[in-house]
Amino acid sequence: MTALRGSRCDACAVTLYPAGDACPRCGRETAPVTLSTAGELWTWTVQRFPPKSPPYVAPPEGFTPFAVGYVELPEGVRVAAVLDTDLASIRIGMPVLVEAGAGVPRARSAE
Amino acid sequence: MTEVLIAGAGITPFGRTENVSGRQHAVRAVRAALADAGLEWARVGAAFGGSDSAGNADTLVAELGLTGVPFVNVRNGCATGGSALVSAANAIRSGMADVVVAVGFDKHPRGAFDPRPEDWGLDEAYGRDGLMVTTQFFGMKIQRYVHDHGISPRTLGLVAEKAYRNGSLNPNAWRRKEITADEVLASGMVNDPLTRFMFCSPGEGAAALVLVAPHVRHEGVPVSLRAAEVRTRTFGTFEVFSPWVPGGELTSVSRAAATAAFERAGLGPGDVDVVQVQDTESGAEVMHLAECGFCADGEQEKLIASGATEISGTLPVNTDGGCIANGEPIGASGLRQVHEVVLQLRGRAGVRQIAGSPRVGFTHVYGAPGVSACTVLSR
Repeated sequence: MTALRGSRCDACAVTLYPAGDACPRCGRETAPVTLSTAGELWTWTVQRFPPKSPPYVAPPEGFTPFAVGYVELPEGVRVAAVLDTDLASIRIGMPVLVEAGAGVPRARSAE
Repeated sequence: MTEVLIAGAGITPFGRTENVSGRQHAVRAVRAALADAGLEWARVGAAFGGSDSAGNADTLVAELGLTGVPFVNVRNGCATGGSALVSAANAIRSGMADVVVAVGFDKHPRGAFDPRPEDWGLDEAYGRDGLMVTTQFFGMKIQRYVHDHGISPRTLGLVAEKAYRNGSLNPNAWRRKEITADEVLASGMVNDPLTRFMFCSPGEGAAALVLVAPHVRHEGVPVSLRAAEVRTRTFGTFEVFSPWVPGGELTSVSRAAATAAFERAGLGPGDVDVVQVQDTESGAEVMHLAECGFCADGEQEKLIASGATEISGTLPVNTDGGCIANGEPIGASGLRQVHEVVLQLRGRAGVRQIAGSPRVGFTHVYGAPGVSACTVLSR
C-alpha cells in the first residue's frame, strides 16, 4: 500500500489533501504528513454515464459505471477517491482502505 | 438607511433558442423592466449586470441607448445577478443615482459546464479519472444528507414533480409539461440517488430590475428590497470539485448569506410568505430549505409530503418552477427568482399566484466555488 501524503497545520489541527504549503483556514505554513490508509466511507455516488472526454480517459475495455466517494480518515480529513468495489455493496460508514494510485486516490472495501 | 424600491421587473422566456443571443435576451428584459416601471432608459443613472458566458453587460448600451450611463460588468458565477443587485442597491443608498438597473443574462449550449482541472487548481488526474463531473458533487452531498436526516427518494421525486407542475403554470418556463414523481424516479439514475429528471439543464434567458430611491416618481407597483447579501464560503463547507473536505460538521455558505440577509432585513424565516431557493437538482432544494432556515434538517420529509411547499401550501417554494423547470442560465437565475417574488408580492402572478396577501419573500442562489446570494423583499 502506498499511503497518501497530505499536509497538516498544527495550529488549526487541520489536515489537507493533496499536500499544500499553506493552511486554508489560517494561512500559516503546513508540515507534511502521511495519512492513514484505513478509514470509513463518508459519502458516495455512482458515475452512471461516461464523463466527457477529454478530460476523461476511459479504460481500454471501455466505460462501465464506477463509484466515487469521500473517505473519512482518522486525521480529520475526508479524501475524494474512486471506489474500486462492488457497486451493490456500497454503504456510508463501510470500512475502506485508501491509497495513492497512478492518478487520483483509490479506495476499496476493507470488509 | 435609504429604502430601496424595485419599481420594475422584466424577464424573457427561459429555455433554448436557435437565433437569439444572450445579449438580445438581456436587452428585452431591461426594456420590459423599464416599461413595467414606466421609466425611460435615459432616466437610468447607473447600471450593473453580467453573464457567465454570454458577453459583457456594458455592451448593451449599443441597443439600450448611448446615454453615457456608468455600466459596471459583474461576473460572479451563480451570484452574478445577486452581486449586480447588491451593487445597484448600494448605488441608490450612496446617492450615486436614484434610478438603477440590474440585469442578469446567459446562454449555455447543451452539455455546458465542462470544467478543466487546471482552472480549479487541481491535478489533471481528477479530469482523466472522471471526477470533474458537476453532478457527482450534487449526488454525494444529498447522499450524505439522506443518510443523516432520513430523506426518501420519494421526496426527491416530489420536489421535481412540483417544479414541473409550477413550470406548467408559468408561460416563461422552459419545461411546461407535468411529470409525476414516479416518472421522475424512473427517468434513469445519473448520480445516485439523483435521476435525470431531478436535474436542471443549462439554458438561456434574462431578467432585469429597475431600482429606485423612494422619492422617484414612477408607474410601477413598488416592492421593497429589504436586504441583498452575497457571501463566499468559509472553512468547512462541502463544494464541487474538492479533493478533500474537512472533518467535523459542515458549514454552509447558503446559511451564512441567508442569515446575513435576514439580519439586514430585520426579519426571520418565519415571516416569509414565498420562497425561491437554488434547485440545481431536487436534493439542493431539500437541503437549501434547511440551510436558509425554513425548517430543521430532516423536517423536509414531512413538509414536502404534506404539500406545504406547493403553491397552495403554507410555505410555497419555487413557485415559478425554479431551475428545474426554467433551466439554469447562470447569470440570470438570481434575478429570475426576484422577478417571481415581485410578481407574487404584487399579487400579479396569475394562475400561480399564492393565496392571501403575501407580504414577505425570500430568494437564494448558490453555486461554485462556494458562493451564495440571498434577498429579502417585502410589499
